[in-house]
Amino acid sequence: MSSLGEQIRARLPYQRRNAASLVLLVFAMVLTLSAFAEVGLARDGSIPAGLFGYGGGLAVLAVAAYFVQMKFAPYADPLLLPLAVALNGLGLAMIYRLDLETSADWKAAARAGGEVLTDEADAPGQLMWTFVGIAMFVAAILIMRDTQKSDAPLSFTPKTAQRYTYLIGLGAIILLILPIMPGLGMELNGARVWIKVGPMSVQPGEFAKLMLVAFFAGYLVNKRQAMSLIGKKIGPFSLPRARDLGPVMVIWFFCLGVLFLQKDLGTALLYFGLFVSMLYIATQRFSWIVIGIGLLVVGVFVAMQLPFMGHVDQRISIWQNPQPYFDGGCMLESGEVVPVNPNTEIYQKHDVEGVISPGFAACGELGGAYADSRQLMMGLFALGEGGVLGTGLGQGEPWRTPLSFSDFIIDSLGEELGLTGLMAILLIYGLIVQRGMKTAVAARDPYLKMFAGGVSFVLALQVFVIVGGVTKLIPLTGLTTPFLSQGGSSLMANWILIAILVRMSHDARKPAPQAIQDEGMTQIVSTR
Amino acid sequence: MNMDKPIRRVAIFALLLIFALMAQVNYMQGSQAEDLRTDANNPRLYADIFKTPRGQISAGGEVLVSSKEIDEEEYGRVYKDGPIFSPVTGYFRGGATQVENAYSALLSGDDSRITNQRWFDTFIGKEAEGADLELSIDPRAQRTAYEQLKRATAPGRRGGAVVMDVETGAIKVAASYPSFDPNEVSNDPRSDEGAKRLEQLAKGEGVQRPLIDNALSQTFPPGSSFKILMAALGLADGMDANTPVDTSDLILPESNRPLPDSHENGACGGRAPLRAAFVESCNSSFGRMAMELTIQKLHDGSEKFGFGDRVEIEPNFFAAESSVPVEVTDAEGNVIKTGQDATARSGIGQENVRSTPLQMAMVAAAVANNGVIMKPYLVEKARAQDQSEVYSADPQEYKKAMSEGDAKELQDWMRGVVTEGTATNLQGRNIAGKTGTAEQTPFPNARWFVGFSPMEDPKYAFAVMTEGSGSGGTAAGPIAAEIMAQVLKQ
Repeated sequence: MSSLGEQIRARLPYQRRNAASLVLLVFAMVLTLSAFAEVGLARDGSIPAGLFGYGGGLAVLAVAAYFVQMKFAPYADPLLLPLAVALNGLGLAMIYRLDLETSADWKAAARAGGEVLTDEADAPGQLMWTFVGIAMFVAAILIMRDTQKSDAPLSFTPKTAQRYTYLIGLGAIILLILPIMPGLGMELNGARVWIKVGPMSVQPGEFAKLMLVAFFAGYLVNKRQAMSLIGKKIGPFSLPRARDLGPVMVIWFFCLGVLFLQKDLGTALLYFGLFVSMLYIATQRFSWIVIGIGLLVVGVFVAMQLPFMGHVDQRISIWQNPQPYFDGGCMLESGEVVPVNPNTEIYQKHDVEGVISPGFAACGELGGAYADSRQLMMGLFALGEGGVLGTGLGQGEPWRTPLSFSDFIIDSLGEELGLTGLMAILLIYGLIVQRGMKTAVAARDPYLKMFAGGVSFVLALQVFVIVGGVTKLIPLTGLTTPFLSQGGSSLMANWILIAILVRMSHDARKPAPQAIQDEGMTQIVSTR
Repeated sequence: MNMDKPIRRVAIFALLLIFALMAQVNYMQGSQAEDLRTDANNPRLYADIFKTPRGQISAGGEVLVSSKEIDEEEYGRVYKDGPIFSPVTGYFRGGATQVENAYSALLSGDDSRITNQRWFDTFIGKEAEGADLELSIDPRAQRTAYEQLKRATAPGRRGGAVVMDVETGAIKVAASYPSFDPNEVSNDPRSDEGAKRLEQLAKGEGVQRPLIDNALSQTFPPGSSFKILMAALGLADGMDANTPVDTSDLILPESNRPLPDSHENGACGGRAPLRAAFVESCNSSFGRMAMELTIQKLHDGSEKFGFGDRVEIEPNFFAAESSVPVEVTDAEGNVIKTGQDATARSGIGQENVRSTPLQMAMVAAAVANNGVIMKPYLVEKARAQDQSEVYSADPQEYKKAMSEGDAKELQDWMRGVVTEGTATNLQGRNIAGKTGTAEQTPFPNARWFVGFSPMEDPKYAFAVMTEGSGSGGTAAGPIAAEIMAQVLKQ
């Protein structure tokens, strides 16, 4: 019986699909350029100057990336690069649209020396990071060579990472711990996931994510035989040995540590979900999933019982019923939620000189935990405003939502592009994940299979956690939206992720070296 | 060992996650979009509210309310004869009252009855236009009512008048004095002057609260006009026109003070049949009747006419609650039970009995419409801009207050009030009714005339209340006659 991978490989055309890739890339760029044009026409009534700077900049970068891919990974999956460019371009256009400083009115007012508002949306910064991100992609393609050429000097292939499994694991953990370090880490929007490097803030978690995939892949490839075969069978489940369970528990404790110390449920969920899925890929044992989910539920339950973890508990309460929390709500010990928004008497009572947050003070008097669901509700209002077809780029009011350019960029896109636009964007994510998974199946090496599978799954899970959060499918936790959110760390890490998939897909799809069988003809070595 | 199968399962799971997101986005932007757009916390609701013109409100073919562009893409509201019609139209400046509030979504075009019909416009992002409303109000009669109330009401006091069609419940007149001009607050909805003026109006002066109309939303002691309801309870209890009643002065049992009649000659001299005691409005006999029935029966009986209920005239537009309380809670929180003396005084519409003019008009409507009270309403029709009808009033029975026979009997008694009782000054005006003069010492009397018109085969019920010195028959009666003359002049 030939395996699924063999069947797929048997049907692979082993063709270079660069022409298809180029056509799709052109389409992605047309999409991006039209988005910029629409923003300008709707906002300022003219084609924006940014069309050439931003759209053109992205086009040049994308074409450069394409040529590198064509030259150095000619058999690569044709869809990955155009899909990533389309997402990056749409995100950039949205940030450009949200950045007040790119509007013609703002520029005119600033020139006239008038009083101008500034906001956190930063289109030039995002363009710069897009440049860096695509440069990372190019560099990664150039550095990572074919697995066949691993004997060449200074070569580095995706498989090279297998040799440094534990080193990479240690690196990932250090990166994750960095934001908790006093003096280095900093807290933004209630989550401590940033570190300060010079003038920039970096989210090391984005890179740690990739390193964790490499670590898990390396670790599990070594241990998977033992983990899948040995164990006591109880009922339908075969329980693993204690020594195999050990590392799982370590990861579990670690994720809970992230949860407690960084107050970041989303990240914890992301890492743990990634680990459990890779464990399942490695061992094919369903019991691991049951154990994993059980441990996670226990962890979250414990977190909800702890007094200082009110954060997690309340996020779930906000998710179930955000309305009473709008502009401030107070969850009492009994679980009842009392609004303490500025229209309430108790708020007005505390709204006196010197009180920074009257709602918080009012909630203190009631003896409950304070939270404000304004952000989530505003995001949902943006979605509602968008409806089926959206208001059109530049014609909505997505700026009303806090963090409309980062965590809530999906809601901003939902308002202006509508349900139609969001479905297209989710479809793009779905396609990237599907192409990644296909690469995993088609790959020949177990380590590469796990690596590609893990990388694709972590992307899907991250999209699920953040998009699900801002659309009220699951409790909201802060994560970046891959390729769309404003922020350099995320862009760089995700471009590297795409580069890894491109390199692996090239490896998987290129024709296997053919043994020379027909030796009938005499080879002419020299005519002289 | 092969990993393809688990990878494929994980891939399917990953795609299911994306699929779940797609489903959720569809749910949010498809089925929840309307709720989210109209959520009270949604600031977009208030940001765009002045950007499109609202529908017109008209009555009797006359446009009363329309939108006017004030500056680029901002619209204000303009009210014709604002003070006269404001008890019905209300005002709109983001927040709204009365019909402007009850039909806000239809007027702005956000209502699903319009958006569903114009679904293609919504689909291509075109703003739906608001619907126009047609009121049941008779504008000529409404003007007469306002002018008359303004003339008759004592300075610093209040007056209200309601006329309703007894067969449908359509309100023909709902006038109030003092009123306010909604133009002052709605012409430029964002102006500071408007906001200041609104604050000033809300505060009012003395007992005058211009924003709270005195026709539907304010209660007054109904005085002897309450005897219509008392007589209906008596009839239901087995009394009839000829039942002899004691009309001699009643000495209240608790305080030993008399409950005097307004006059001691005629029927109120000692003993009389019930009908005579009614047409001459003998307090003593109705005080006795109340004590015999007990306050609980008065309270329960009055509920059959709508007391104790906030009538929902239009969606989210409630009339004030009229009441015959069994007990009241004073300012200090003490519960005071209605005793014997208070029960006697409740029987003549005093003490703690309170009624809106609308409620008393509904009592008269029960009499005029053979015992059935129709649910009062103000909006006849709503038409979208393409003239299609998106709403049409559907007359409904509100309460069956009394038997047809009792109602016919009471019609005769109320005609008697004009032909031979306390309102002979209204002879020849084709109205019948019951006078009422509630003392509010040290303040001026609440003077009532509650009845129906035409005298034979009644079609309209009315209640007129104005505060001032003198009695209901001479002060409120002629106003009712003037209003009904306009209503009947078709």
